[in-house]
Amino acid sequence: MFKELLRAVKMHRIFIIQELKRMMEYKGDFLTGVIGFLISQVFNILFLSIIFSQIPTLIGWTFEEVLFIYGFSLIPKAIDHMFFDNLWAMGHFLVRKGEFDKYLTRPINPMFHVMAEKFQVDAFGELLVGILLIASALPNLTVEWSFIKVLLVIVAMLFASFIYTGIKIGTSAIAFWTKRSGNITYMFYMVNDFVKYPVDIYNNVVRSVLTYIIPFAFTSYFPALYFLTGENPLFNIGMTALVSVIVMTIGILIWNRGVKVYESAGS
Amino acid sequence: MSRISKAGKKLRIYLPFVNAGVQEASTYRANWFFYILGDVIGCFVSFFVWEAVFISNGGESFMGFDKGDMVVYIFLTFLTNKLISGGGTYDIGEEVKDGTIAMRMIKPISYNSTFLFQELGNKLMEIGIIFIPLTAGVEVYRFILTDSLQFNAGRFFLYLFCCVFAYLINFFFNICFGFTAFIFKNLWGSNMLKNCIVGFLSGSVIPLAFFPDAMKNVLSLLPFASLSYTPVMVYMGIYSGSEMLFYIGLQIFWCLAFWLLSKLVWKAVVKHLCVQGG
Repeated sequence: MFKELLRAVKMHRIFIIQELKRMMEYKGDFLTGVIGFLISQVFNILFLSIIFSQIPTLIGWTFEEVLFIYGFSLIPKAIDHMFFDNLWAMGHFLVRKGEFDKYLTRPINPMFHVMAEKFQVDAFGELLVGILLIASALPNLTVEWSFIKVLLVIVAMLFASFIYTGIKIGTSAIAFWTKRSGNITYMFYMVNDFVKYPVDIYNNVVRSVLTYIIPFAFTSYFPALYFLTGENPLFNIGMTALVSVIVMTIGILIWNRGVKVYESAGS
Repeated sequence: MSRISKAGKKLRIYLPFVNAGVQEASTYRANWFFYILGDVIGCFVSFFVWEAVFISNGGESFMGFDKGDMVVYIFLTFLTNKLISGGGTYDIGEEVKDGTIAMRMIKPISYNSTFLFQELGNKLMEIGIIFIPLTAGVEVYRFILTDSLQFNAGRFFLYLFCCVFAYLINFFFNICFGFTAFIFKNLWGSNMLKNCIVGFLSGSVIPLAFFPDAMKNVLSLLPFASLSYTPVMVYMGIYSGSEMLFYIGLQIFWCLAFWLLSKLVWKAVVKHLCVQGG
């Protein structure tokens, strides 16, 4: 088990180096993409600051708290985006064009191979914005610091990033049946936009969906809430870990069933 | 007479491209539907955030917009952007990358027109499946909110009229932009940058009415405001008669300007094309 994991990490490093070489082909394009992302986030923050120039708090949340949660939500997303971005390709064309064949012939786990093949440097933009937002919000927040708290939040972020990965594995595996499922993944990612803001500003229905059905609330709101208030670590952090494990398990189960019905494209 | 039959013949050449567009959109209907659904969910995020803003504000209006206005603004801006957008940029980028652009270039027909007609087919599908139901939904919501019908057929037709120009502006703008692929070879990054700047300048991210006056005046003259902002303002009935004439005139001006530019850019960049193993 440990040896296998070590091998996976080693393989991942090789994939990352390959991907970086490939990327250098379109250097300028990559940079403009990252700048584009940064600017779009600046616009969003500008939008929030215009809103907060008119209202003191958003259903009890201050501007700084909203910024903190917004920034927090970007980090787990960025981690998943950076390492496992290639899953999007499954739903978009790997299955449809029969290119998934390649992964079945290699001596490593096909799911891992698809996940790890690409290293997405674009994600640094998200990571950077997330960290900057948190850093800019922190001086204006009264947070009690403790080593345990920081540790728990970092662990929660890692688990949270696997909520994304799990959802991507599950939704991209639908392509085994339908040939194309990239837009199902896209749909889930749009739902994710809700959790850039504190989940309790929404009505009960939306909140329940985000907590129990598509549990993105655990990727930002609940762990961030623990960090801000120090309350309820058992639910805020514990459930994040549990939900992450459940989502990953469901994702892998769907994948394992799907891979059995995979038939290559005839061309 | 001969001119009419010539035009008719020309149109017939392009009809297969319209058909191709419809078929393209309906081949992976489910996938396409989920994509649209994802975008609609994005609108609902804005909707619920605004609802929270209105609750926190305690009043009926926020910077001159009431709740009904906001709902119309969010959904109509989204629908207008869908209606006037085209995959042109992306398609050109892909074709440059894989070299299939060469296939289009050897045909004795206009390069721009093949894209335009293919998209028309795509649009017909979108209007039927999302535009009509969502607009109806918005109007029902407004009816419940105000207890009276806010929909105005005259304004709606003017809105559609504006959308045609907005579509053409966007189309020629994207063509100009897409041609930069001949130089950059890859379009993902520049496309992302473009979308986010256009989104901002056109008022899709923040309504232009929320900006300081000086900035608002400048932005409303730029071509980007002609895209979704002008049609949506017409739909909402915010412009007076003379304002409306001015902004529609401005749309026509930008439309012609970008049409000319796209011709010029095409002449300039076609020499740069280098088909990569096509």
